[in-house]
Amino acid sequence: MKSSTLRAGLALACAIGLSACGGGSGDLYLQGSIYPSVPLTADGLILQNNGGNDLAVPAGAVTFQFGNRVSTDDEFNITVKQAPTNSSIANCHVQNGHARANYYTIGQISVYCDINQIAMTVAVNGLTGAGLTLVNGSDKKDVPAGATSVVMATVSQDGPYAVKILNQPAGQTCAVTGGDTGTGTGKVGATPVTSVVVTCTNNAAST
Amino acid sequence: MKFSFARAALALAASLSLASCGGGGKATYPINITVNYQTESGLVLSTNGTDYTVPLPAAGQNSVTFVFPKQVEYGEAYSVIPKGATLSGNTLVALGTQPPHQTCQPSGRYPYNLLVYGTGGQLASINIYYDCAINSYPLGGAITGLTADGLVLANGNNGSVAVAANSTSFALANVPFNTTFGVSVLTQPTGLTCSVSGGNGSNNNGTGIMDDAASKNNAGVTNLVVSCVPNS
Repeated sequence: MKSSTLRAGLALACAIGLSACGGGSGDLYLQGSIYPSVPLTADGLILQNNGGNDLAVPAGAVTFQFGNRVSTDDEFNITVKQAPTNSSIANCHVQNGHARANYYTIGQISVYCDINQIAMTVAVNGLTGAGLTLVNGSDKKDVPAGATSVVMATVSQDGPYAVKILNQPAGQTCAVTGGDTGTGTGKVGATPVTSVVVTCTNNAAST
Repeated sequence: MKFSFARAALALAASLSLASCGGGGKATYPINITVNYQTESGLVLSTNGTDYTVPLPAAGQNSVTFVFPKQVEYGEAYSVIPKGATLSGNTLVALGTQPPHQTCQPSGRYPYNLLVYGTGGQLASINIYYDCAINSYPLGGAITGLTADGLVLANGNNGSVAVAANSTSFALANVPFNTTFGVSVLTQPTGLTCSVSGGNGSNNNGTGIMDDAASKNNAGVTNLVVSCVPNS
């Protein structure tokens, strides 16, 4: 948007001196959607067209558009130069990114980056009873008596985690500590989450 | 599927030479239907007054394919929709008779995003695709004592929500049927300490599972309570 004045000026110049414009900008914007249509959750994505024309796509973007326009039948080849900080080039994919430009082909381009999946392990202390169930949102893990750790499902980098006790074991009460907050919650970083601790103590014998 | 070529050729031949068919019957067209991802039986598809309960996929399969028991005649308008449903374009607006905890819609995935309505003879072969998805239900509740900004609540790795000062309620992303949830305070508000209770689990600690009772009438779980008190 911010370059529209400049762009209009350029277009006017081209219109006046058309023959002199040579291989200058055409009338098609190379654009596309970030797929699936959820915002990128981290900065860092840089797209290229034909190995140049770097375009940084910020966190939160659901579309992108290259500044330089192309002409009908120009070949375009959109590639990922740099992945967002919570993904990798191997996990970023461009669909329909290589074709010759026309009104159809420039409407079919999309980019998606899978967020890094980070391992998560919860330490368990003092568990002697059966029946403990931990949840981290939709991830549910039954923990057998005697277990000293639980491998949870992988979690998305930069997303939250919040380990809670869904069911207490027989004869014991367990509490969740650790994580960023001391209460078993936090934000997933680039390395495995191993700081959450579940500590179980025996219930007082009823008299 | 397996006889679609022969049937299509026959249908084509019949429709081309319809006038010369004499006393022969009108051409009819079978409707081939594929339903993907149905996990609980209950979907009833209806075509021009004939109902058919869609069977579940075989064990280990995601989809079931069958030929609708009633064929359409040449020139006969048809639509294949859940019983009682209504269409807007190729999308259901009233959902009709659906499986429990699922919603089945005409497929939106290329190349399966074919119209579920038409007229017999328009197409050499009528193929209908439906995709079923698990329903999700609301998750939220009430907030007391929130006099400052900064509160962030999270449901595990399934998303978070920032809650402004003086809010008295909150909602997290809907939770799919038969899926657990556990809501925690990810960030405490300035000068306050909040704790989460409620839910339909056994611990009254903001956990539970979106079970059959919780999903009834799309109610979800909205009895969570976030209580905030000033730091001492």
